[in-house]
Amino acid sequence: MLTYLARRVLLAVPTLIGVATVIFMLVRLLPGDPARTIAGVLASPEDVERIRHQFGFDQPLYVQYVEFMSRLLHGDLGISTRTGAPVTQEILGRLPYTAELAVISTVIAVGVGVTLGVIAATRRGSLLDLGISGLAVFGLSMPVYWLGLMLIILFAIQLHMLPAAGAQDPLGVILPSVTLAAFSMALVARQARSAMLEVLGQDYVRTARAKGAPRRSVLLKHALRNALLPVITVIGLQFGSLLGGAVLTETVFSWPGVGRLLVDSIFSRDYPVVQGVVLMLAVAFIGVNLLVDLIYAYVDPRIRYN
Amino acid sequence: MNGRNLALVVAGLLLAVACGGNNSTGTSTGGGKHGGTLNVAIGIDPDTLDPAAQTTTTASQIVDMMVERLYTMDSSGNTVPQLASGDPQVSSDGLTYTIPLRTGVKFSDGTAFNAAAAKQSIDRLLDPNTFKTQPGVLSVIASTSAQDDSHLVVKLKSPFAPFVAALTQTNAAILSPVSLTQQGNTAQKVVVPVGTGTYVFKERVAGDHITLSANTNYWGTKPNYDTQVIKIVPDDPSREALIRSGGADVIISPPLSDLPALSKDSTVKVLAAKADRTIFISIDTVDQNVALLQKPEVRQALNYAVDKKTIIQNVMFGQAVELDAPMSKTLFGYCSVGTYNYDVNKAKSMLQAAGASGMTVKLGSPTGRYPQDIKVAQAVAGYLRDAGLNVQGPMTSDWPTYLGSVNVPPAQAKYDMHLLGWAPAYLDASQQFEQFRSDRIPPKGLETSYYSNQQVTDLVVKAGSETDQNQRKTDYCSASKIVWNDAPWIFLYNQSFPIVYSSKVTGVGSFPNEKFDTRYASPA
Repeated sequence: MLTYLARRVLLAVPTLIGVATVIFMLVRLLPGDPARTIAGVLASPEDVERIRHQFGFDQPLYVQYVEFMSRLLHGDLGISTRTGAPVTQEILGRLPYTAELAVISTVIAVGVGVTLGVIAATRRGSLLDLGISGLAVFGLSMPVYWLGLMLIILFAIQLHMLPAAGAQDPLGVILPSVTLAAFSMALVARQARSAMLEVLGQDYVRTARAKGAPRRSVLLKHALRNALLPVITVIGLQFGSLLGGAVLTETVFSWPGVGRLLVDSIFSRDYPVVQGVVLMLAVAFIGVNLLVDLIYAYVDPRIRYN
Repeated sequence: MNGRNLALVVAGLLLAVACGGNNSTGTSTGGGKHGGTLNVAIGIDPDTLDPAAQTTTTASQIVDMMVERLYTMDSSGNTVPQLASGDPQVSSDGLTYTIPLRTGVKFSDGTAFNAAAAKQSIDRLLDPNTFKTQPGVLSVIASTSAQDDSHLVVKLKSPFAPFVAALTQTNAAILSPVSLTQQGNTAQKVVVPVGTGTYVFKERVAGDHITLSANTNYWGTKPNYDTQVIKIVPDDPSREALIRSGGADVIISPPLSDLPALSKDSTVKVLAAKADRTIFISIDTVDQNVALLQKPEVRQALNYAVDKKTIIQNVMFGQAVELDAPMSKTLFGYCSVGTYNYDVNKAKSMLQAAGASGMTVKLGSPTGRYPQDIKVAQAVAGYLRDAGLNVQGPMTSDWPTYLGSVNVPPAQAKYDMHLLGWAPAYLDASQQFEQFRSDRIPPKGLETSYYSNQQVTDLVVKAGSETDQNQRKTDYCSASKIVWNDAPWIFLYNQSFPIVYSSKVTGVGSFPNEKFDTRYASPA
């Protein structure tokens, strides 16, 4: 198990170097002059050149790359060209908000999604199944900014129950979480339903029923546990992408998460922060994938890592 | 938890939310009623609060609440003393300015404000090691010295008539010298600006809010709200939702299309503040692909072809004023020079006479940089088609890409015409003429129409160093007339700067350079 873990972590290193190189190139392929973008339209050519020099954008590309990689190996992501603060500090300042949103919306999505999926599978073909499937399609196809605005109009403007935007009020997390959960919930519900349907048709489920096991135990112990593997994969992927920040939701609800940091940085051509966030995203995905693989073994003892 | 308990908890939470929003107390002090917290929502997250590195008026306005300049502008745009105690004494060669300073003023950290402090901040702005410093026109300063505690002497490299007006910019703000080593600040990089302003920095959560508290030792009229929270709400509809839900007391730049509805809403007030930004279609006046655009009469015809009034009414929802000069009315040096009244038949016949009927032009526009920008460009394209032109576009891209594609030397021009906005940092015509001086053609500046008329450049250079203010006005007026006639732009409009505030609040003001002013807001 430990060797497996060590191998996976080691394998992540070349992946991250690859990601770092690709993103380094990609941001520099973006059209637009970073120094002019930072300085603004009114800046004099001298001011623009001074800023270009301060950030080393006047250096040849390979020099910038070597500097970036050698800093990276020392755990230094550089300085944000937008704010002047270290990139790690910028990201760490935003990460708790994104993590809060990701965890809460994942909990909602898993709780509601799995429950709905199981109910739909056991009542296959019923009106309830149809209703849940309909809800899932609704959740999948709803643009989040529309759903977000509708929730704001209802709960903030009409009912005055919840804040419309921002993270200052502790209740502010509710609307963005629900908005964000809608999509994942629908995905999880569909996945849970189809996985459950497959498992419910298996011989061992029939055997369990035949030997007189209680319905509840058949569903939860025999069927659900076996149906969970594909569901966990979906949850893992969703959680990974949520950690990267949900740009639209964060914008509609003015949530100070990583997604908005990334967008702001792209629009102000803040190369170091864009590089940092993308790297962080890669680390998050690698970590979540590893976690998912480890959870597999816990859920299904037949899986062994050697 | 049973159903009843849950209901109680929810009710309790709701009550807490309801009470949380209402924290004005309503006792009266000097400038107006005293209040608790004022919530203001703006659209951008300030890059930095360091005065020397300011690039946008919205962020500058937040900084202005904490740090002050030697001179400022009043709500009509006139230059008035702030930390200076009066007008400067100017030497006869126009090179030496002796600025008298207020005495007895203290920075919010208790340090005394004096000429040495002023010198240090201005030197810091000019120091190339200061992070992202942007002295701009103030790089005309050769040296500064403190004559005594209350007189700052500034020597210029060359005479620069709008020097005092240029000192009203936020980058010329005066910081407490002691603060440059505290709260994470260094001389190179200021995170927490400490000045003499009405408010003091309290807290910042990047991307979410900035909290300021009243400077209880402020030297002038004390502010009314104890605290102002500046919320960062990037999405226009979300800002509108915030004020409609009571989560904000003041918002800037709501969606223009909702202004008619907001104007009818009795719970809020709409202030269409005067501003200095002109929006125009810059024409490539040295166009090699469409050489006809080099002819002034063709460019004049394009001006007649576009119905500015209808665009202002239907696309800008009335939040703009048609241009009658190549600059906004709020600038020093403005004079009304004419109109290109919409007349499609006149445009057609002028185009025909010039052999330009049916010419093909490429039009570019940014999306989301200015209110309704791409929609205005679409309307312009429609009018030009009505006049018989074959318009390709408007082609569009995000702002940095767009700026990169128009800020190029003439040979690399991508569009035949492009929509752009220009907002002088201080209200002097010299700033607007950056758009018409032939020595500002990229890469030397952002004169992206490549317009070149030696008479205009001469007049502007002359006015820039003239000491006689009336003569300066006359020169700018003459230059404006030539520009208007040469028509390097399709002159569109001067957009206003809409601010929406709760009817429970009063005293919300503005400056005519797209800055809002909540320093002296108070409960109504």
